[in-house]
Amino acid sequence: MTPDTLLRRINDYTNRADPYPLYAELRENGVVRQDDGAYLVGTYYEIAALLHDPRVSSDQRSRKDPDPAFTQDGLTPAFIRLDDPEHDRLRRLAMRPFGPPHSPGRIDALHGDITRIAEELIDAFPDKGRIDLVDDFAYPLPITVISRLMGVPHEDVPRVRAWTNAVIAGFDPTPGQDPERRRQEARQARIAMGRYLGGLAEERRSHPTADLLSALANDDGPEGRLTPEELMSTAVLLLIAGHETTVNLITNGMLTLLRHPEALERLRADPGLMPGAVEELLRFEPPVQYLPQRSPLTDIEVAGVTVPRGAPLILVLAAGNRDPRRFEDPDRFDPLRKDNQHLGFGSGIHICYGAPLARIEAQIALNALLRRLDDARLAEDPPPYRRSPILRGPRHLPVERDATGTTG
Amino acid sequence: MQIVVDLNRCQAYAQCVFLAPDVFELHGEESLMFTPAVPDGQQERVLRAAAACPVQAILVGEPAGPAAR
Repeated sequence: MTPDTLLRRINDYTNRADPYPLYAELRENGVVRQDDGAYLVGTYYEIAALLHDPRVSSDQRSRKDPDPAFTQDGLTPAFIRLDDPEHDRLRRLAMRPFGPPHSPGRIDALHGDITRIAEELIDAFPDKGRIDLVDDFAYPLPITVISRLMGVPHEDVPRVRAWTNAVIAGFDPTPGQDPERRRQEARQARIAMGRYLGGLAEERRSHPTADLLSALANDDGPEGRLTPEELMSTAVLLLIAGHETTVNLITNGMLTLLRHPEALERLRADPGLMPGAVEELLRFEPPVQYLPQRSPLTDIEVAGVTVPRGAPLILVLAAGNRDPRRFEDPDRFDPLRKDNQHLGFGSGIHICYGAPLARIEAQIALNALLRRLDDARLAEDPPPYRRSPILRGPRHLPVERDATGTTG
Repeated sequence: MQIVVDLNRCQAYAQCVFLAPDVFELHGEESLMFTPAVPDGQQERVLRAAAACPVQAILVGEPAGPAAR
């Protein structure tokens, strides 16, 4: 097979459990043009430079052939799909209630809540037999946290889940049944979710509450407020991105630890090592494997290859994270790794907005699981994966336990 | 516990401010301020902040020099 089919092979579901040999092939071939005109980059230094390059756009309208899944999705583009200065304005408005400089203590204050939710989910595990760490833990934890933070009532979480699934299926690049229908369903789900969140925010304009939606609706900064359309697309982005990827981080994390029993024992004995271990997980099994939506605003040269203006430029973060030119022994999972400037959250102006929340959720979740599940074994390895090659992670993670029960 | 931030490396991603808001502070949108001598009870947060720094600019150690034990 030739390098110009690499993206198709990465997207092929049969390679989902282990795409890493394909990423090695990508790095060996430098910047590779695909037979559909997209360019793939998988080497660390090139990806890092492109993430900081103002000639690289995140806006679909910079493409020669914009993807209708993004340009006709029913809402105005959120900041993840915009360039500066619009990106900067919207991201700063969205940051005001979430983090520094205006709300520095917001995420730190969630420790107690996240710990309590994690412990309650573990309390509900059956005493013996099989547990699905996705459905019983890694999914409900982050969606409960982000819903509370944003101010989405608990009883509406199933609707949020259905909308999210439809939106994600809409930009799934794997070939499948009826892409046009999936796109329409995604569009309708995005609009419905936007209206729902916009409605909640509107209610809070007259009755402010302590959540993010209320803050986005009422906050009056020097740059004014989000318009109702901007609020809708921002809220949809924060709610979806605020849980989808964290599920993968927790699940990929437990899978990796169960595959590396020595590391697992070490972390169980010293939970203070978990922050470094989560960084290593973000390098070793990143929840977002590649960024599909960049394109250059002008012809640019990357590692000796000219990428033409408007061509899809796909940055494979998961390949850069295992680049031997950057990381020593990159295919080794080492929770004590020093010098770990991974690309798991991207880099540059679009670096993951929710990274601090994802970090503490994963740290708390994994420490709680290690402490309380002392005899869990993988019931299937590899586990069944979700469809998406981008938001890559197990669909289920069945583990089995003997009858000793959950320890306090 | 003592910290030093390499301000030549710092790019104001502010991950440390999220994770240890009583020790790190953003002045305006970009300038980082911090408390070099970590107050009691903040050590765990500071270690989380140091691990999270995307440019690994935070150095954590014990006080050095003749005054140190």
